[in-house]
Amino acid sequence: MKKFKLKIVTPKGIYQQTEIELLNIRTTSGQIGILAGHLPLASAIDISELNYVKDNERYHFAIAGGFVYVGEDETTIIANAIESPEEIDLRRAEEAKQRAEKRLSLKGDIDILRAEIALKKAITRIHVKNGA
Amino acid sequence: MATQMQAIKRRIKSVESTKKMTKAMQLVATSKLRKTRNQLDELKPYYTMVTSTVAQILASNKGIDNAYLKENKEGKVVYIIISSSLGLCGGYNANVNKLMDSIVTSDDLIYMIGTKGAAHLSHTGVPYNDNYLSLNSTLDFKDITTLVGELTNMYKAKEISKIKILYTEFVNNMTFTPHIQTLLPVDINEFKDIEVTNKYTIFEPSPAEVLDHLIPMYLQSVVYGYLVESVTSENAARRISMENATDNAENIIDDLLLEYNQARQAQITNEINEIVAGASV
Repeated sequence: MKKFKLKIVTPKGIYQQTEIELLNIRTTSGQIGILAGHLPLASAIDISELNYVKDNERYHFAIAGGFVYVGEDETTIIANAIESPEEIDLRRAEEAKQRAEKRLSLKGDIDILRAEIALKKAITRIHVKNGA
Repeated sequence: MATQMQAIKRRIKSVESTKKMTKAMQLVATSKLRKTRNQLDELKPYYTMVTSTVAQILASNKGIDNAYLKENKEGKVVYIIISSSLGLCGGYNANVNKLMDSIVTSDDLIYMIGTKGAAHLSHTGVPYNDNYLSLNSTLDFKDITTLVGELTNMYKAKEISKIKILYTEFVNNMTFTPHIQTLLPVDINEFKDIEVTNKYTIFEPSPAEVLDHLIPMYLQSVVYGYLVESVTSENAARRISMENATDNAENIIDDLLLEYNQARQAQITNEINEIVAGASV
């Protein structure tokens, strides 16, 4: 399959720069797959699992929201945080999940939205870690 | 005579230990300075990417309607103020405080970063939010996300009219000047000079929604950038002032040593005089 360039940028610098065949991401409006030669596209990425295929092998990542820009010769993902299964600390993710669930169960907490986001991040991490 | 010499000796010792401390602090500041400068470089690709995409959306969608681009008429002005938590950094905090005094009133909402600025505000009796006081030492991007999220929500709900940030620009290793920059509403003119490569991009689901998502990200990177830049300035200021302190200590030691030698010589001369006087009797 034809390859295209992928660059993943975080506030801590360039996370990865590689050539891949297929990119699967979940944008705020749904799951999309990107192949080489895609039209220029810009979209926000949900807190979700992200994966790409490189040399017939699939690589998974957990992304804590971000942004994708598909350019003519390069696709860029801007993420505040992105982790491969090896980088995910399962214990921490599970603790975060419990914390968020506890906070959600307490009625009258004003920060429901924040707790929900934290829960979503934790679940994504656990999923990516166990799925790989 | 001997007691005077003892006193000088003691002073030399005390200045020498001070010099050791200032020298150590200078070295620490130098290494921290290098670290924060690296952080600033690391942020660059992220920042350029976000700004160029924002520029692209603005260029291909003239007159786009977005809450972040419009000025809110009512509500308080929010100031994010970056000062330091440690002293001994020359005029760094004094400059920040001076600029702060000239613009901030007690009607404004203040988000304080750094305890030195906070102490100054407590002294003048201006209330402030102290949830993010230690952000200048942690430099945690997650906390910045929370802060920006909090502020953008307030802005969207039209509770506040403007968001400004007071930071210290790092011009070079010797010069740093405090500045005030408006974060919201976003100034479209700032993106005019950025070259737009492709004007025919698909925006999923819509340009306005993408922009809605992208502007908070843009603000996060800007606030983080300003914060790291201020900390860089702080470390550079500390390095310079500690370098000066070390130099001063060296000068004082030189002077004291001269004084000590003179006293010693005077004592020897005196002793010889006494011996000679005793022998001639």
